[in-house]
Amino acid sequence: MSSIAFQGAVELGLIYSLVALGLYLSYRILDIADLTVDGSFTLGAAVSAVFTVAGRPFLGLFLSLFAGALAGFVTAFLQTKLGVQPILAGIITMTALYSINLQVMGDKSNVTLLRKETAFTLAEGVFTKDWAKLGVAFLAAAAVSLALILFLRTNLGLSVRATGDNRDMVRSSSINTDFTITVGLCAANAMVALSGALLAQYQMFSEITVGTGMVIVGLASLIIGEVITGTKSVPRCVLGAAAGAIIYRLIMAFALDASVSPQNLKLVSAVVVAAAISWPAVRDQIAFAAIKRRRKAEKSDADLK
Amino acid sequence: MLTLNNISKTFHPKTVNEKRALDRFSLHLGAGEFVTVIGSNGAGKSTLFNTISGFFFVDSGEILLDGEDITYQKEYRRARKIGRLFQDPLKGTAPSMTIEENLALAYLRGAGKNPVFGLDKQSRELFREKLAALGLGLEDRMKTKVGLLSGGQRQALTLLMATIITPKLLLLDEHTAALDPVTAEKVLDITQKIVAENRITCMMVTHNIQSALGLGTRTIMMDDGRIVLDLSGKERAEMTVPKLIERFQETSKKNLDSDRMLLSGE
Repeated sequence: MSSIAFQGAVELGLIYSLVALGLYLSYRILDIADLTVDGSFTLGAAVSAVFTVAGRPFLGLFLSLFAGALAGFVTAFLQTKLGVQPILAGIITMTALYSINLQVMGDKSNVTLLRKETAFTLAEGVFTKDWAKLGVAFLAAAAVSLALILFLRTNLGLSVRATGDNRDMVRSSSINTDFTITVGLCAANAMVALSGALLAQYQMFSEITVGTGMVIVGLASLIIGEVITGTKSVPRCVLGAAAGAIIYRLIMAFALDASVSPQNLKLVSAVVVAAAISWPAVRDQIAFAAIKRRRKAEKSDADLK
Repeated sequence: MLTLNNISKTFHPKTVNEKRALDRFSLHLGAGEFVTVIGSNGAGKSTLFNTISGFFFVDSGEILLDGEDITYQKEYRRARKIGRLFQDPLKGTAPSMTIEENLALAYLRGAGKNPVFGLDKQSRELFREKLAALGLGLEDRMKTKVGLLSGGQRQALTLLMATIITPKLLLLDEHTAALDPVTAEKVLDITQKIVAENRITCMMVTHNIQSALGLGTRTIMMDDGRIVLDLSGKERAEMTVPKLIERFQETSKKNLDSDRMLLSGE
């Protein structure tokens, strides 16, 4: 793989790492499978693209955070106040977002940003032309990671963690779970939308299907990260999610490099996800098989004597 | 401190399974009173605790805590004033969070904590001190995840969490029943110590008649959603386990159906 392709994969990995961090918050911390993600990712891309066309790329990034949080709020409202099952609540919001995203993009299914100033082109003055994309992507990933680690240490952050960790305990404690779930889903979808917003400006266009399958991509990154860094502490999990996203992109880049045709990339990503998720179980089975083998050998030794 | 006025709760109303769990139940607890609650299975003890804590609302009647009407107050709001322990030691703590993080959560109820980062140096020192008082060596394991502790350690920690900000009322729902006898004894000792030190108003459900009479200042016996016996003072001091069982049969005009209660009374 060429160094340019490698750098490109790292840049994309850093951008997508925000999705993995969002899923870490909703899926791992809150223990909610939030399918809003596919919609809120596109929403972030749409908002960012529209503002970039208008010549305000940074405002677009900033507002995508609020747009994502709003999407998360709708999902949270459906589950906490209206009693909709968590998975269904996410699907409902995601479905509604399809129409909303089209409207945001001015009733078009794509918006091109060719020859527009983006956050990445504007950063060329600071990081030089070759490193601008990497610099911006790294700053965004680092800032969000740090913010997430700090947030989870606050009183509110601790309450959010407890909400997903032990529902029995939280129900009889003074934590208002409706509130903590809402905060968590808003923050998670804000991160996801920011990821979409960065991607739109990075690849100079946004389209209505850009978020499709984002849940799986984020989940794969998250789990690859957990295999690497473990789940001992919050900072490790956060760093793992970010690292996992980069590794996932590198695997995809290698697959393309090994002339896997683009239409088969989803198959590769499904295999990667399945392999990452099943890794702990496979590892335990291998260890168990080794114990059985050793015992059998000892027994036959004893029989010989 | 706590006043229950004619509270009633019926489950599955207007069906064949209709069950009147609490029947115009009234009770008044003075500040610092420690009441042990006994009664056979289905007598309404857990329903009583669930209505006081706000797990569900009563059909009629009112609940006053320290003069405040909390009848229809939400559970999480009441939890600022009412501490509660369950039989299952896993129910009171967050397993993948550390001991100090769990304590910080419980400490959120109180005033004077750091408004943003509650787990600061000052509160850590307080937690260490409180943990040391439990005598379980947990003060040196504050960064250990709670999921790695034993049931008894977790229940002692839950007790500390429930009382680190002194609650107006502490509800103990058979909180030692799932522990081995030695650990149960230890947790019960810690309970007594904490309750006495902070003069906490307390209600404890137990199936052990001996500890029902030995602990606290008052014993009530429930049957069919009502109080059938209310012992305190001299009458309670003179009560013995066999006499109490006899009294129960006399009052309720039926035999004790719970073998468990008889066995643990020996």
